[in-house]
Amino acid sequence: MIELAVNGVHKYFGGLHVLKGVSFAVRGAELIGLIGPNGAGKTTLTNILDGAIKPTSGTVYLNERRIDQLPPYRVAQAGLGRTFQVTRSFRRMTVLENLYVPALAMNPGARQRAFESRALEVLDFLTMRHLRNEFARALSGGQQKLLELGRLLMLDPGVIILDEPFAGVHPRLMEIIYRYIARVNEEGKAIILISHQMESIFTLCRRLLVLHYGDLIADGAPDEVKRDPAVIEAYLGEDEEAES
Amino acid sequence: MRARVPKIAGTLAVAFLLAFPFVYQRADYDYVMHLWITAFFYAILASSWALLAGYAGQFSFGHMAFMAIGGYVAGLFSNYLYFTSAPTKTCLEFAVGGRYLVILDPIGVSAVPRTCLDIARESWPPDVVVSQPSLWWGILLGVLVGGLFGFLTGALVLRLRGAYLALFTLGFSEILRATISAEIPITRGQAGLELAPLFPHGISLLGATYGPQDKVPPYFVMLLLLLLCVAIMMALERSRFGLFIRSLREDEDAASALGVDTVRYKVLVFVVTSMMAAAAGAVQAHYIGIITPNILIIMQMALVVAMAVIGGLESIVGAAVGAILLEFLLEFLRNDFVVAGVVINMSVWRLVLFGALLMLTLRFARNGLVHPVLLWFSRAGVARETVEQQRADEGGTEPAP
Repeated sequence: MIELAVNGVHKYFGGLHVLKGVSFAVRGAELIGLIGPNGAGKTTLTNILDGAIKPTSGTVYLNERRIDQLPPYRVAQAGLGRTFQVTRSFRRMTVLENLYVPALAMNPGARQRAFESRALEVLDFLTMRHLRNEFARALSGGQQKLLELGRLLMLDPGVIILDEPFAGVHPRLMEIIYRYIARVNEEGKAIILISHQMESIFTLCRRLLVLHYGDLIADGAPDEVKRDPAVIEAYLGEDEEAES
Repeated sequence: MRARVPKIAGTLAVAFLLAFPFVYQRADYDYVMHLWITAFFYAILASSWALLAGYAGQFSFGHMAFMAIGGYVAGLFSNYLYFTSAPTKTCLEFAVGGRYLVILDPIGVSAVPRTCLDIARESWPPDVVVSQPSLWWGILLGVLVGGLFGFLTGALVLRLRGAYLALFTLGFSEILRATISAEIPITRGQAGLELAPLFPHGISLLGATYGPQDKVPPYFVMLLLLLLCVAIMMALERSRFGLFIRSLREDEDAASALGVDTVRYKVLVFVVTSMMAAAAGAVQAHYIGIITPNILIIMQMALVVAMAVIGGLESIVGAAVGAILLEFLLEFLRNDFVVAGVVINMSVWRLVLFGALLMLTLRFARNGLVHPVLLWFSRAGVARETVEQQRADEGGTEPAP
C-alpha cells in the first residue's frame, strides 16, 4: 500500500515563513483535495514533495523511504509524479516523444520502441492518437494538459499530484480529465488534487486538506471541512457559511 | 519517398566528397582542398555546438576553448615529449620499458632554442636513439583533455542557464586565451606553437604516395573525423540521450520531475561535444602546422555560432551543411564586385553581408536555412496522417495506410 508521510514541514524564503509545520499522511489509493487561497503555500508544498525545493525542516517519506533530500528525478523514480500549474509540455518534441521521456527514464536499458503500444494506448484514452506525431507546440492548451497527464501515465507513479488540472480547459476535455482521475485512482494510485474549482474538488475528493498562509488548518471529509469554522473564516467565506 | 530524400542526398553528398580530391583537376586544387578541409573543421565545430546548444539548450560560448585545448595539448605533446634510449640527466624524465620518456623544459620564443635534450645530445655517443611518440597519441590526449575540461565546465554550470551560462563560458574561453598568451615560455604566446604535419613522412593512399604537405591526406582525415562525429551525434540523437537532452532543453524542471537525471545528461553533453571540438582542434592544428591564441578570439566563436544558426540550430546535419556553405560563401565573397563602375572592396564588405545574412536568418528563418528543408522531407505525411486519423477516430473507420 502506498504511504506518503509529511512530518512537520517548514519552509522559509528569507524572512517569509511559507509553510508552518505541515503534517499529513496519505495511505493507499486516496483522492485528496488540497485547497487554499493564493499564497497559502500549495505550490511550495508540491515543490517540496517532488524534490524541486528542500524543506527548511521536517521530513517527507514515501513508502518508508525519506525523499525530502532527493533530487526530483529520484523522487519521480521513487514513485511520486506531478503536473504543473502552468502546463510544461516539451513543446518542440512530438506527442509520442513527450510520452517516451518518462517511460525511458523509468526503464534504463529499454528501447523507445518497447513503449510504443503503451503510449498509443495512453493516447487513445486521452483521445489524442491522431496527434501522436505532431509537435506539442501545435496542441491547444487543453490538449497540452492532457499530454501532461499522459506523461504521468507513462511514468506510472504511486502518488500523483495534479496542480490545477482544470484551469482553462474546455468542458469536453474536462470530462476526459475526470475519467482520467477516476481511472488512475481505481488503479490504486493516490492522487492529490490542487484546484481552485471547488465544484470539481467537492465532487471528486473524499478528503480535503486546507492550507492557509502556511498552516494546515483542516484535514477531513469534504462535508466536515465545509462546516469547519476556521476554514469558513479563512477561505470559504461568509457566503458558504450562509449557504450551509 | 519524400521522407527518404535526405538519406539519398546524404549518401550522394558523401560519395561526392570521397571522390572530389581525385576528380577535381583545376589549377587552384590546393586552395580548394584547403577550403574543404577548413569547411570540415568548422562543420565539426558547428554541428557539435548545435548538439550542445540546439538540442540540449546549453548556450555555451566556450566551444572554441575546447577546440583550442585539443590543439594546444596536441601541440605541447609534439613539442615537449620525446623518447630516448639513454637518460638525459638534465630534463624531466621517466623510465618507461627500457626507454626514457623525456619532457623538455619550456622552449620559449628564442630564435635558436637550446633545449635540455640538445644539451644532453652534446655528451651522448652517436648510437643514442631519440624519437617522438606518434602525434596521433597527442591528438587522442587532446581529445581526452578536452573531454575532461568539458566535464568540469558541465559540472560548474549546472545551475546556470541562458545568459549566465553564456557569460560563464565566454569568461572561461577568455581566461584560457589570456593564459595561453601569457605563458610564453611554455606556449610561445602569440608566436604560436608549431606542430608537425599529420603525416610527417608522407603516406601512400590508393596506390599514390603523398608528401607531408599534400592536401589529400588531411582532407580525408578531417572528412572522416566529420563523418564520424556526425554519425556519433546522429546515433545519440536517436537514443534516449537525444530524447533526454531535448527534454532538458524544453523544460529542465519538468524533465527532472519525469525521472530524467538532468545533471548527468547536461554534463554528458558537455563532455561529448567538447571531445569533438578538441578532436577537430588537434587535427586542424597539425594540418595548419601552428596554433596561436588568436583561434580563441570571440570572432571565431561568433563564426561557429553563425554557421550553426544559419544551417539550423536544431539539426546536426543542418549545422554541418551550414558551416560548409558559409565557409565557401565567405571565400566567394572575397572577390571584389563592380557595380555601376564602382569597385566594391569585398575584403571589407563581405563580413557586413555575412552579418546581414545572419540577422535575416534570425528574423525570418529561426530554424535556419537547411533544417526546415530537412524537416519538410522527414515529416512528410504527418499532417495528412493527423487529419486521416482524426477522421477515422470520429467516423470509426481505419485510417488509410
